[in-house]
Amino acid sequence: MLLALLFIACLPPALSVPTCGKDHNDGYQVRLSIKTALGSDAYAWNPSEMFLFRATLAFAMRKVLQAQPFEVSNIVVCNETQRVSFWFIVTSPDDNTTLIPKATVERAVRESRKRINSAFLLSDKTLEFVGIHPTLATPIQPATPTWLIVFGVVMGAVCAGIVALLLSSFVQKRRRDRRKGQGDKDSGRGVTCDGLEGRDGVYNLSFSDDDRLTKL
Amino acid sequence: MEKDARPSWDNPTQFVLACVSYAVGLGNVWRFPYLCQMHGGGGFMIPYLLMLALEGIPLFYMELAIGQRMRLGSIGAWNAISPYLGGVGIASVVTSLYLCLYYNVINAWSFWYLFQSFQSVLPWSECPINNNLTGFVEECEIATPTQYFFYRETLDISSSIDENGGVHMGQALCLLLSWMIVYLFIVKGVKSTGKVVYFTATFPYIVLFIYLIRGVTLHGALNGVKYMFTPKLEQLANPQTWINAATQIFFSLGLGFGSLIAFASYNHHNNNFEHQAIMVSLINSGTSIFASIVTFSIYGFKATLNYENCLEKVRVLLLNILEMAEDSITQDNLDYWMSELNRTQPEQYAGLSPKLDSCNLESELDTAVEGTGLAFIVYSEAIKNMPAAQLWSVLYFIMLLLLGMGSMLGNVTAIITPLRDFKVLARNFSNGTLNGLVCLLCLLLGLGFTTRSGNYWFTMFNEYGATFSLLFIVLVEVITVGYIYGLKRFEKDVEDMLGRRPNWYWKIMLAGVSPILLISLFVFYIINYIQGGTPTYQAWNKDLGKSVVMEYPWYGQAFIALLLVSSVSCVPLNALYAFCMKKQKIIQSQECTISMNTVKSACKPCC
Repeated sequence: MLLALLFIACLPPALSVPTCGKDHNDGYQVRLSIKTALGSDAYAWNPSEMFLFRATLAFAMRKVLQAQPFEVSNIVVCNETQRVSFWFIVTSPDDNTTLIPKATVERAVRESRKRINSAFLLSDKTLEFVGIHPTLATPIQPATPTWLIVFGVVMGAVCAGIVALLLSSFVQKRRRDRRKGQGDKDSGRGVTCDGLEGRDGVYNLSFSDDDRLTKL
Repeated sequence: MEKDARPSWDNPTQFVLACVSYAVGLGNVWRFPYLCQMHGGGGFMIPYLLMLALEGIPLFYMELAIGQRMRLGSIGAWNAISPYLGGVGIASVVTSLYLCLYYNVINAWSFWYLFQSFQSVLPWSECPINNNLTGFVEECEIATPTQYFFYRETLDISSSIDENGGVHMGQALCLLLSWMIVYLFIVKGVKSTGKVVYFTATFPYIVLFIYLIRGVTLHGALNGVKYMFTPKLEQLANPQTWINAATQIFFSLGLGFGSLIAFASYNHHNNNFEHQAIMVSLINSGTSIFASIVTFSIYGFKATLNYENCLEKVRVLLLNILEMAEDSITQDNLDYWMSELNRTQPEQYAGLSPKLDSCNLESELDTAVEGTGLAFIVYSEAIKNMPAAQLWSVLYFIMLLLLGMGSMLGNVTAIITPLRDFKVLARNFSNGTLNGLVCLLCLLLGLGFTTRSGNYWFTMFNEYGATFSLLFIVLVEVITVGYIYGLKRFEKDVEDMLGRRPNWYWKIMLAGVSPILLISLFVFYIINYIQGGTPTYQAWNKDLGKSVVMEYPWYGQAFIALLLVSSVSCVPLNALYAFCMKKQKIIQSQECTISMNTVKSACKPCC
């Protein structure tokens, strides 16, 4: 009877020790893909690496809840698999039995995500916290869009080309007119001669074959 | 005596390069590989080469002969051949005008993509982040980044032809640039065009060659090339194969637009156009085959990449479900582990198995795409995965630009040459001014294609603006030359120019085989159009992230009818006009004769 009472007395505290795993709501699952990220430089996952993980997470919790001194023992890990995935829960430093709520853990992980990633030489994709989406980096917007700059360069070149061509034909025409004017002065009798002036010849219609025109 | 002799090419090479530059265009790159894929790969060569010999080369020869003999643009040349059928020339000019309006929009897109390639990360390689920084833009997630970039950022497309919108500034600027470059190339007529074609005709081949080397060395490229060249000879029994081969040859050579007549009109009288016709036609077809090898090696690369990505996704999911070490499941032993999963966790297997089934290399290779979808979506998706993607992107879009600009030169020359033949215009406007006015007009009208619903109007022009009218024009052309003008007179003209009469091959093709082929194509088009019901188009649905088929509204269908009627009706209308003018002249000359016979002194000087 006394034993039974003792057992019943011990039960609640035993029951209240927080358990982690996928059936409980307060933990997060973590998945690491070390070989995918590092290939031949991959390190093996061993208890020391796990210790580093717990320490990093304790650091993240300390950053968010500055009043409470989290220790490595406050990060409880379970269900470790060969995949290198496991569940963890965070207990409060003051009282071993209370859990830190999920939302706070999420905030801590988000704020120190970069530091956690770099401790393991991994990225947001290869060190997955299942359920915590990574905050995406703000896209860098340059002052002038790049395409406009290239467009401006090409457009400027084309405009210059057009102006050059039009000017050159205008200058040529002026020169030809001036030469024609001089030629007129020389002949004096009012007879103007159109020379061939570099043309190969002139098509004389009177010698063409009329057959090509269909008779109406 | 003529004051200004007709300008001419500096040498025959310029003429050949101009024809090559005109004929080798975007269709060689994005239409021929598609047809090859649809109609049995290597087996498609048989109908293609046969149609080239039966219809392509003879019609090309005929157009060059007409242009070189008449030394006038299409309107003047056809008026000279037969005043009743001068309308064919006008129809050519109208069709060329429609083509010019929408073709340069493709060049504007190429410019846009080219300028966007000068960034460290190609903008179509990843989705942009949405406003609250929680994830990617939804439309991009449902579709792919390349599709999102084309439909949303390049076109800003609306969901149907009814919804209009403002002009996309980037597109409008690129269209302005395209027209300015076209103007730069043609501002001095043949003198400037002749110099430009040295570059626009040869540089695309250099890029294609570079791409060939890059393409066949890509991982998985040989899958694509093997797929293309494996002939499926049963496709030869399908009449659609032969019809598509005939139409592809026809449109690829650019017959009927009047460009070839215009180019040939600047030739010397004795230029050997017979050899040139054969040469250019063979070069055009050869380029199509060459380009399709490049396209298929890139297809193969993209298909293999997608297939391997698909398998990788399934592998990672499997790893996470089975919680095994990372390197225990590879793509090779995937099937073994899938059966293990089936044994241990059948519900999970039921969820994963369809994902694995959807990874199929054959079906990836089977997705045949043509047109702008191939050039701007599929190709850019393949390019973004290549190492040094920016370089390949720049090179690719420069090639597209050169091909497009080369064809534009021919298109615009087809409009300007007949206009300049009118003495009124030639006297009052200089070369530069007339060309500038034409370019300005086309630019202003083309701005309509840069609005939000512009792409739907573009598709309408692309499908209806130049297809049916061209068949009609070339049919009338070949019947005119063969029967109305007379084959005998044509033979004499050719003998006058080349020194020998055309041999039996040309005579049989021009008088017999080509007209029959064209008539059957023409009838087929009409039947297809009637059977097809209401014309439809593909509209981009941004909620579904894919294109859906929609019917044209009543004004869209009316516009299609207008496009077809406006060019085709030029022929009968002009014939009617010529008939009336002739009647009037007869009446006038009869009146003059009567009044001369009477003793009246006031005789109208009309005879």
